Amino acid sequence: MASVYREYWRINILTTLEYRENFVIWLLFTIVYHGSALAALWIVLTRFPEMNGWNFKQMAFLYALWMLAHALHNTFFSAVGDVPDHIREGEFDRVLVRPLDALFQAIATPGQVFPDELILAVLTFVAACIYSGVHIDLMFVVFVPLIAIGGALIDLALNLAISTAAFWVVRVDALRWIVVQLEQEFTRYPLSIYSRGVRVVLTFVCPFAFMNYFPATYFLGKSETALSLPPAVGLLTPVVGVVCVALAYAFWRFGLNRYQGVGH
Amino acid sequence: MIIAARPRFRWAPYRALAARAMAREATYRFDVFTSIGSVLVRLYLLKMVWTALYAHNTTPAELPLHAVITYSAVALLMGLVMDIDQTRALHDRLHDGTIVTDFLKPINVALSFFADGTGEVIFHAILIVPSLVLALLVVHIDVPPPMTLAAFAVSFVLGYLVGFWINFILNCTAFWTLEISAVQLIVTWLTDLLGGEIIPLVLFPVVLQKIVFVLPFAAMFSTPLLIYVGIISPSGWAAAIGVQAVWAAVLAFAASLMWRAGTRRIVSQGG
Amino acid sequence: MAIIEAVDLRKVYRSIVRGPGLAGAVKALFSREIEETVAVDGVSFSLQPGELVGYLGPNGAGKSTTIKMLTGILVPTSGTLRVAGVVPSERRQANAQNIGVVFGQRSQLYWDLPLRESFELLRAIYDVPDDRYRTNMKTFAELLDLDRFLGTPVRQLSLGERMRGDFAAAMLHDPAIVYLDEPTIGLDVVAKEAIRTFVAEINRERGTTIILTTHDLADVERLARRVILIDEGAVIYDGALERLRQEYGTHRTLVVTLANPEQRLDVEGATVESREGNVVRLRFERKKTSAETLIRRVMECCEISDLQIIEPDIDGIVRRIYTEGYQDGAAGTPS
Repeated sequence: MASVYREYWRINILTTLEYRENFVIWLLFTIVYHGSALAALWIVLTRFPEMNGWNFKQMAFLYALWMLAHALHNTFFSAVGDVPDHIREGEFDRVLVRPLDALFQAIATPGQVFPDELILAVLTFVAACIYSGVHIDLMFVVFVPLIAIGGALIDLALNLAISTAAFWVVRVDALRWIVVQLEQEFTRYPLSIYSRGVRVVLTFVCPFAFMNYFPATYFLGKSETALSLPPAVGLLTPVVGVVCVALAYAFWRFGLNRYQGVGH
Repeated sequence: MIIAARPRFRWAPYRALAARAMAREATYRFDVFTSIGSVLVRLYLLKMVWTALYAHNTTPAELPLHAVITYSAVALLMGLVMDIDQTRALHDRLHDGTIVTDFLKPINVALSFFADGTGEVIFHAILIVPSLVLALLVVHIDVPPPMTLAAFAVSFVLGYLVGFWINFILNCTAFWTLEISAVQLIVTWLTDLLGGEIIPLVLFPVVLQKIVFVLPFAAMFSTPLLIYVGIISPSGWAAAIGVQAVWAAVLAFAASLMWRAGTRRIVSQGG
Repeated sequence: MAIIEAVDLRKVYRSIVRGPGLAGAVKALFSREIEETVAVDGVSFSLQPGELVGYLGPNGAGKSTTIKMLTGILVPTSGTLRVAGVVPSERRQANAQNIGVVFGQRSQLYWDLPLRESFELLRAIYDVPDDRYRTNMKTFAELLDLDRFLGTPVRQLSLGERMRGDFAAAMLHDPAIVYLDEPTIGLDVVAKEAIRTFVAEINRERGTTIILTTHDLADVERLARRVILIDEGAVIYDGALERLRQEYGTHRTLVVTLANPEQRLDVEGATVESREGNVVRLRFERKKTSAETLIRRVMECCEISDLQIIEPDIDGIVRRIYTEGYQDGAAGTPS
């Protein structure tokens, strides 16, 4: 499997270089996508400087942390989102005819993946750290990568679940788009602005809050006002990520069985 | 037999195209329900965000909380209709070359795309009705006096046209370069932000306000919305709508130029 | 010891009913009616290693469903299936290692990059040992003339070149069994011949078992000695191609060009298959009416300007079986 993964990355880079103009345009798109979110935040917080005890500097850090996890997912796991198209176009059968796990193949399907969004995210995060003046110690350096990975796993679990839905519903583009948009919008603000029910959902059901809110609360030294949980709960993100992926994987196997007509 | 006289304009083919577009949208049942669901969620979000923002800061006098929530909710609903790329089919067919068959048919090609897109728009506009009902349940939207609503309606139509021409021009670039979806999304985002869909333009820092009010994007969202919430008073309606009309005309002209240049290119290049 | 053993395979599909038009589409948003289709209904056969079999049937007969079950894509509703000792639905990956598949309508090559990059990736996927990889690449380059376009991006290849690439890709890991699904579709005559030669060569030299699904019966004629005919989910013939020809290839066509286009032509022992102007096609059973007799009768009744006898081809034979149904032993009587 390792050699396949290496090959997969080699082909990715080659293909991206092949379509250079594409690359530039999509990089621009990524910049505008994140840039306009941050710009909107800045515009609003210039006029309304404080949001439930969070100022713009802190919310920039909040956004950058989410962006890091999200970019990590997009770089390594985004191919999972192409599975519904493959199913619809009849290309998915090819995956089943090959001697590798179907999900691994879905993840390692060569496309035009280049870690540009990730680089951008890292740069933005570093800038946000400096700008927000967050306290950087050993804990920070050790845990931030783990939390980013955990966040990427949460995103992967979501991506996988939506792709699995394609075994039944076929067209899931709209759903995926809406979910990602909502993810980006809801994680932008501190959890405490939402009503209690929503806070519970975003923590225990669809744990976006673990992607950035809880970790940010911990690192910024803020008291956790949303659910009155101990701030250190922000360090649990990697665990949450693994659990989510496990659940999504079970769902995937269920969908795959159905696709193969098991039980019909 | 030579057809010398100009044939009478037929509605039938365009009606059929629109109906087909609607049926196409309706086949994806999951999409339909998720769209309505997402509107609900978004309305909730904007209510919570503005409430939180207004809670601990000095509030703008001209735009009290209920007004800004109304603004954002109506903007959201407008967005459902305005963000549909009506002429996307144009780009798609240029991309895979099937556009050549369109030119072989005895119908006006530009109109055929418009008809197809209109079908989509009508379908989604119909979806707005349940969304509107939900909106009234989730958030409280102010309803202005009938005259204001009428002015809003006129302004909305003009804003829609401005948006339509911008999209059309964008899709026309597909005559020259093929990969435009990213550019399109970039433009959509920028127009949403700079057009006042996300944040009322009057809340922008004063320096930026001077810029955004001059751009055509403001004509898409901001103008109709500011009329709706009363920040543009009845005395200012004529001027505001006038500006929109000018933009619509300018963009329509630019679009027709691009269309003509593009079709000429297709014909000379052989598809 | 059979390499493929299928016993009483059954596959039932279930799908949601959807009405036509806008009304039907909207209604389908709210309904949940399910209909069942039996695609494969008790198919059994067994293949020995090294056989090259044609698997034929009209569209919708259950061909692709059977192939999907053999390749591990679909799980049978009931019945047993063993491919090279593996049950595909239980050990998908193990089965996949033993097989190669060429889908004529779909390529497994990577569109954007040179052909050789696709081979490199496949080498990693199938874990092909270095020496086997080198040997195979050399062999295929010779047999399929690949060197010319190994460095060309796949999207720029002609259909014939791409097919050849797909064949090499399918064989790269020395599979024991290869499934060919419409392998020559859309190809020109020269390319088709190249592919057929390659397939015959592989079968002969390596003893690869090959199942060929195709609508181009010239492929079958050229390559297969055994054919399995499937219709409406069941096997209606499984045996030597030669026997099929003997049993069902007993009809012939006499093409008569009449001197007078108005002339009525109605002779004993033959049926009029078609008539275009003054050209009449007569069908007759060789066993019932000899060609000589028929020609004599035709000439007795009418003035002829030209005559031609057409032998049955596999296409006509198969068509006849599908329209008339297969009866073992009897050659059927003309309708």
